Amino acid sequence: MAHAVADRIGLLKRLRSAGPGLLSGLVLLTVAGSLVPAATALAFAALVGDVARGGGRAGVAVTTLLAYLAVLLLGHAFGALREPMSYLARMRIDGDHRAELSRLAAQSTTVGHLERADVRVLIRQARADPENFMDGSPGPGAVAQLDLLGRVVAVAGSGAVLAAYEWWLVPLLAVSAAGLHGLHQLAGRDWRRVWRGVLLPGMRADVWAEALVSPGEGKEIRVFGLGEWAVGRIEQHMRTAFDPMWGVGRRVLIRQSWQLPLVFGPLAVAYLAVTADAVGGAVPVATAAAVFAAATSVLPADPHQAHLTINALTCLRAFDRLRAELTRVPAAAAGPPPLVRFEGVGFAYPGTGRRVLDRLDLEIRPGELLAVVGLNGAGKSTLSKLLAWLYEPASGRITADGVDLAAIGPEAWRKRISVVFQDFVRYHLSAADNVALGNATVPRDEQALAAAARDAGLDEVLARLPRGWDTPLARSRTGGVDLSGGQWQQVVLARALYAVRTGAQVLVLDEPTAHLDVRTEFDVFGRLAAHRGDATVVLISHRLSTVRRADRIVLLDGGRIAESGTHDELMALGGQYAAMFTIQAERFAAEETSP
Amino acid sequence: MTTWRYLGLLAELVRLSWRRFPFAAAGIVAAAVVSTGLTPVLALALREAVDGIAGGDRRAALLGALGAALAFALDRYLRDAGEVLEKVLADHVSSVDLRRQVVSTLARLDGLDHLERTDLLDRVTAAQDARGSLGHAPWQAIHAVCHAVRLGLLLLLLGAAVNPWLLTLIAFAAAPLWFDQAGQRAVARAETGTAEAFRLQRHLFDLATGPAGGKEIRVAGAGPEIARRQRAAWAEAVRGRFRARVRAAAWRLTGWAVFTLGFGAGLALVTRGDGSLGDLVLAITVAVTLRDALQDTLFGVTVAMAGRTGAEPLLWLRDYARDQAGHTGTGKPPAVLRDGITLEEVSFGYHGTGRPALDRVGCHLPAGSVVAVVGEYGSGKTTLVKLLAKFYAPDRGRILVDGADLADLDTAAWRARCSAAFQDFGRFHIRLGDAVGIGDLPHLDEDARLRDAVGAADATALVDRLPDGLDTQLGRRFDGVELSEGQWQKVALARASMRAEPLLFVLDEPTASLDAPSEHAIFERYMARARELAARTGAITVVISHRFSTVAGADRILVLDRGHLVEQGTHQELLAAGGRYADLYTVQAKAYKRSGADSPAGA
Repeated sequence: MAHAVADRIGLLKRLRSAGPGLLSGLVLLTVAGSLVPAATALAFAALVGDVARGGGRAGVAVTTLLAYLAVLLLGHAFGALREPMSYLARMRIDGDHRAELSRLAAQSTTVGHLERADVRVLIRQARADPENFMDGSPGPGAVAQLDLLGRVVAVAGSGAVLAAYEWWLVPLLAVSAAGLHGLHQLAGRDWRRVWRGVLLPGMRADVWAEALVSPGEGKEIRVFGLGEWAVGRIEQHMRTAFDPMWGVGRRVLIRQSWQLPLVFGPLAVAYLAVTADAVGGAVPVATAAAVFAAATSVLPADPHQAHLTINALTCLRAFDRLRAELTRVPAAAAGPPPLVRFEGVGFAYPGTGRRVLDRLDLEIRPGELLAVVGLNGAGKSTLSKLLAWLYEPASGRITADGVDLAAIGPEAWRKRISVVFQDFVRYHLSAADNVALGNATVPRDEQALAAAARDAGLDEVLARLPRGWDTPLARSRTGGVDLSGGQWQQVVLARALYAVRTGAQVLVLDEPTAHLDVRTEFDVFGRLAAHRGDATVVLISHRLSTVRRADRIVLLDGGRIAESGTHDELMALGGQYAAMFTIQAERFAAEETSP
Repeated sequence: MTTWRYLGLLAELVRLSWRRFPFAAAGIVAAAVVSTGLTPVLALALREAVDGIAGGDRRAALLGALGAALAFALDRYLRDAGEVLEKVLADHVSSVDLRRQVVSTLARLDGLDHLERTDLLDRVTAAQDARGSLGHAPWQAIHAVCHAVRLGLLLLLLGAAVNPWLLTLIAFAAAPLWFDQAGQRAVARAETGTAEAFRLQRHLFDLATGPAGGKEIRVAGAGPEIARRQRAAWAEAVRGRFRARVRAAAWRLTGWAVFTLGFGAGLALVTRGDGSLGDLVLAITVAVTLRDALQDTLFGVTVAMAGRTGAEPLLWLRDYARDQAGHTGTGKPPAVLRDGITLEEVSFGYHGTGRPALDRVGCHLPAGSVVAVVGEYGSGKTTLVKLLAKFYAPDRGRILVDGADLADLDTAAWRARCSAAFQDFGRFHIRLGDAVGIGDLPHLDEDARLRDAVGAADATALVDRLPDGLDTQLGRRFDGVELSEGQWQKVALARASMRAEPLLFVLDEPTASLDAPSEHAIFERYMARARELAARTGAITVVISHRFSTVAGADRILVLDRGHLVEQGTHQELLAAGGRYADLYTVQAKAYKRSGADSPAGA
């Protein structure tokens, strides 16, 4: 019970998002609106009384009639005014909630959490998307608590009208009202339980639903004729999710039949008692009329309030658990260009036994251009993710200038590092935003923006955009355009160079050019090498022709550094690097020597 | 979209629900109809009670009071029961049946336009989400009709039982309905007007909370900024929608004021006339329920019309699918390729871009050959294979398969004889065995076939290393194993190797993410496979690659430049010609030479 009260208070606290002005207006309207049924009952009784006194005709005072109409109209006015205000309050609460969730998720220290299925489910529960009909959200839930307050006022008002006739009618009808409320609560809880069971099958269905509308998977679905099959999978998952609803529906329906005696019994007692008294002349007919009207208005009319509350609570509980999962770490000040060392670092992805990195030692010297090569699955990308502190090492430590990254803290460390991933983000925002979001920890630096664009060769692309820097890079936005793959690559290069110009000291490029042609790759690499300034660059690539131009090359094998040196040194060593390079080079050699 | 079309869709949904769940559907309608009838019964019972009290008729008064209590309780129960049924039925129909309809429409779209243009993709996504708002809409429409009937019954009751003049209240009752519609139109306009801001906030939310963009957002420290922009986009959308709701509230209030005025006049009529006390009670009870009935009607209409927002992209999708359906032919592809594929002056441009992606490309791909396509970024290589796989139709020119126009072939039948691995290959978060097996659905469960395909893609070692072999769940989404870029590519290659008898085999950058030994092994294996397929079905293998080392062994090399076919021939011929191919080849070869220059500029 205390728990339930704490829950409700948690919901009420959310009302702060609405702002003091809106909130007090809303409370005022709610209370005023809740008194309308009682006032209506009184005005109604007054009318009946007038007529009764006048012998059934022409006895109604104009003022009584006007008062009745005024109450009626006020009720409408309160209702009409309340609607937009309640909307605004709900949306403000949900807007704050969603922004907070984004901030929490995007600032959580590692990305591993976001990939976990249970966290994905929590995010689904907490996301409060108003356009998804199954999402519970705190806004309607918090406003529903105000409605509940209104209900209490309304019951008190109507109760007073009833008590004027006979006090015991109040507890009698209150029991009925509480019973109804309880039934609604139980039903709400049942629906919630079903909904929770829907999430996982729903996500499995989404694998195929998303595949149908994504360009990559979509092509394969068409070539391999998977369409109908995928549809079948979606349907199967959705059936798993929704078929149990019928059973729950039946149970709720059977339980709801308690409503019939619960409402009919007390109401019949109240009606019969007052009628019997009125016929006997013990009370005037006006009192009977007032009781008729007031008795029904004690009963809760809206079963949705219970649903809204329970849905909102589920959403908030998921949010609280997310907050616990995604802990935040305070920022620290940035230092000078670092010497980065991996010291005996081991790592395995959660849920898999295999160690991707095994007691790895590696030194990344300030300002050097280091290339990391290795076979597929050797752990190159894992190395870059650990370097960015997207995952934490399972054993060993990574230091910058001798200080453990864990001590520096992810936020402070990430101010000093920038990473270009192969699956970079395409923001549906302006070109300027797309570049400047490469480092959002500093205020936007227009000069750095222009310089990065120039260095990346983005100028030519910008010149062709209808609104230059301000053009949204998605055709779905007004005045937006879709860029080609090559143009995006230049945006991303500019993003990386912008980060370097605004303070990133370590730039990691994780296979940035795998899909580029030779000339573009050389161009990108050349521009990077020329404009990286003092920054350290770590390049991960399969293109050994590119890699050979690095200051130093390290080869990952079996989760450790197997070879390290310049291209010439490694070739002379005659190890795995030399073998890999020879395989790639041999094709050219073979072709050239053949007639 | 016309209202009629929308109402047609609602009727269709009701028919669908009726077919799937006749009892639930009948229950909802029965509850609504009975509850409609109960309202006048309640009013009449109360009149009996009051008249009984006034006239001293004890029995009539008590019966009336009992009847009123019963009618009220029954009405309340029926409404709740109807709502439970509606919830189950609407959720089921919209999430299972309607969803099935939408995704199968999507699955039947043969082209790629709707996936590659963000403006179309947005509407496609909206159509997928549409089911939410649509589920309850048909039932709310039915409720709206029932409430309107209830309204009519109440007014008739007033007119017949109290005073015929009260029938004129019908005109006043129409006022709130009419005024509210004006308000709702403003709200709907605001929803459309702010849809873009709303989409933007959702895009940013998904980026911030999703693992895909999560890496980059963290490293760049963009989280707070994204949350701020998301909040701003949200506020912008809400601002517009709130203003519209204020306007709607003003309309609604005006409507009610008109109604209250008319009702006041009616009441004055009753109290000044010769009606009984019971008549007055009846009139006032009716007034209160009249207001409820009106409000319920308004609510029903509002919810039903809110479905329109969802219906719009859904209906658009249907139209779009119908337009696209015309493009497939009926011809069957040949069992064995004898002549090959011929491109006749083929031109193609993507919608909304000025420059054609392919410009008058003409060439012959002989049956049984390995054809390599090379060129710089954006030269039209991938476009060429998209045309061959019938994802797009040429704007001009024809593609002939053994002399038959590709446009006349049945798309599904042609695709059944193609296989492909694309550079933006799929990453299916399902069982590894399924991720490979779906490359040839009829043989999905044949272990030997799966292992052959895995072997062809040089992925046997990968499979052996995974905890559950072919049964391993892929991807972090369901707590499976996350693969590296190169490992995902191997899975895609294995999938592409499932079909035994393709006529066209496309490898679009098959080894971009692979290490040198894998690249080498895969290249050797696929060349052998190409020869074997060629002998069996005359299959043509098309390889797109930036790595010239892998294309040199092809029978024919096509060199594309900005959509033009600038050179074609064998490796030797092209080197000898000293044109663009020789140029690009030298750039790469030099980079691998022991004494290689540091810069390609000298090449």
